Amino acid sequence: MPPSTLLSPSELSYLHSSLSLDLPIRPDARSPTTFRPLVAETDLLPTTNGSARLCFADGSEAIVGVKAEVERTIGASSTSSDVFARGEDGDGDTKMQSAEEEMNEERRRLARGKGQDSWIEVTIDMPGFARDDDGVVVFLAQMLQEGLVADEGLRDRLWIGWGWHWRIYVDILLLTTPNSYPLPLLSLTTHLALLATRLPAPISRIDEDPLFNDDWDAAEPLYPPSGSAHASKPPFTLLVISVEDNIFFDPSREELAVADAVCAVTVGTIDAPVSSGKRREGTPKLRLLSLRIIDPPARLAAATSGTEAEDDQGAWRPARGGMKRAVVGKMVKVVLEVGGVGEEVMTGLEGFHDG
Amino acid sequence: MPLDTSTYSLALLRLDGRRWNELRRMHAQISTQPTADGSSYLEMGNTKVICTVAGPAEGRKAGGGGGTGGDANAMVQVEIGIAGFSGVDRKRRARGDKRTSEMQLTVANAFSNTLFTHLYPHSTILITLYVLSQDGSLLAACLNASTLALIDAGVPMSDYIAACTSGSTSSYNNNDEAADPLLDLNGTEEQELPFLTVGTLGAGEKVSVLVMESRVQAMRLEGMLAVGVDGCKQVKEILDDVVRRHGKRILLERVKI
Repeated sequence: MPPSTLLSPSELSYLHSSLSLDLPIRPDARSPTTFRPLVAETDLLPTTNGSARLCFADGSEAIVGVKAEVERTIGASSTSSDVFARGEDGDGDTKMQSAEEEMNEERRRLARGKGQDSWIEVTIDMPGFARDDDGVVVFLAQMLQEGLVADEGLRDRLWIGWGWHWRIYVDILLLTTPNSYPLPLLSLTTHLALLATRLPAPISRIDEDPLFNDDWDAAEPLYPPSGSAHASKPPFTLLVISVEDNIFFDPSREELAVADAVCAVTVGTIDAPVSSGKRREGTPKLRLLSLRIIDPPARLAAATSGTEAEDDQGAWRPARGGMKRAVVGKMVKVVLEVGGVGEEVMTGLEGFHDG
Repeated sequence: MPLDTSTYSLALLRLDGRRWNELRRMHAQISTQPTADGSSYLEMGNTKVICTVAGPAEGRKAGGGGGTGGDANAMVQVEIGIAGFSGVDRKRRARGDKRTSEMQLTVANAFSNTLFTHLYPHSTILITLYVLSQDGSLLAACLNASTLALIDAGVPMSDYIAACTSGSTSSYNNNDEAADPLLDLNGTEEQELPFLTVGTLGAGEKVSVLVMESRVQAMRLEGMLAVGVDGCKQVKEILDDVVRRHGKRILLERVKI
């Protein structure tokens, strides 16, 4: 769904040249990495484990509800060696509190590598705009799910015990007509909803049928909050465009129309205890999960325009060819570096959840 | 989930602590979606609905959902999307779900008779309802939300359609003489007790929508209807208050500029 603008070829050319300057000038005077303001709230729906609503500056809005269900793991066999591997390591003098923590630690240790991709389900609903089995809908849902299952930590946290696991349903409701690429909106809303998601705390041992603490205040966050030892964050996808050698985050419709290349960059966290002293306390390290080049709208237009003479100044002509390696490298670096855009987005979104 | 209604006769208090003639908390906002022509957000207890209105505009010829109206009048189309996470258990409804299409048709019929559709020939008014959370009175919430969104869109209509549900404490089988009518049932009560949805035109006694899907003794119906119409009056006051407050705010903003 290419965004259409009302700009004439010469206006597009003007925009393209001002974006390809050494110090690029964006139409709304933002710096290349500045995002437009957005409005968000979390925990708005009482019947979900976690929910979020997010409105972008262009008026598009999405609501995500995350629901979790306990399910029997099919084909799970509790190998007796695993069950008894823990042995009788509990000393007589350990306190109640630490016994509970120990149980959680043990569950975490045993769960490693047991999570399955199928325990996470993402569906996108766009009432009135697209059918459920529409290609775009399926493709977007698949891309979001791909990011979620790439995080082994999440899958493993869904493991409850021998034979039981959580299945989480991420239902995305797009409220407005998708006027440009809806992927970042859906992805950031999903990120917020997952941040707010909590699962009831198990009080049964791992070899028993699951039993949960019915106090919602005791529920554990699906993603351990920053500051804790196993802090991790849901992945998110950003839309980045390149014009000549410059890159721009959060492109507006007009900027998308003149982009040389459009990339969807998916970023997740590394599921490992935070150790290096350089990072801020408890901030998980970022990693690149995927980088996808989306056909820029200009190319779709170019396909219809046919061959024309080279350079006539003043009229805009979509770029041909691929993306430069250096530009891709720059894109990845700006997203992933310490204090870079990725971290900024992550802390920014966390602010919505806390506040 | 069986609902224990036997305690009602002791204290005359319902499960959530209300008396027979009390509404749940109702909260609404209008102009919530900047991109839509008209929009509203409505909560009736834990039932939450977002409504957007597109139009009156030149219509799509082949449209799904309930639609009414001829060529000389505007066509009212309604689409209801029930989110998978809206209930207690996650349940995804297919697009052509029978209950949903019946609700679409009910809402479309109600509004095509109330809106001045003759002012907009050859056009379509599309009402889209998103159900975010459901806990009873779904149809009533949809009707109220649509009223607000249509007012926001500035579509002329003869009066508000205000709707609510009413039920009876006696189920069909135990023919209880002393059964009380109840106003505004919540989700658990709706599963157990007979109930009807009534929508009136304004605060009067003109009933424009009346839907009942459960069995009840005919003698109870009159009491239920009377309580329901009475509830609609209260609902209309609340809706009117929302619209007036919104109007006042807009006027104040104008003055400031």
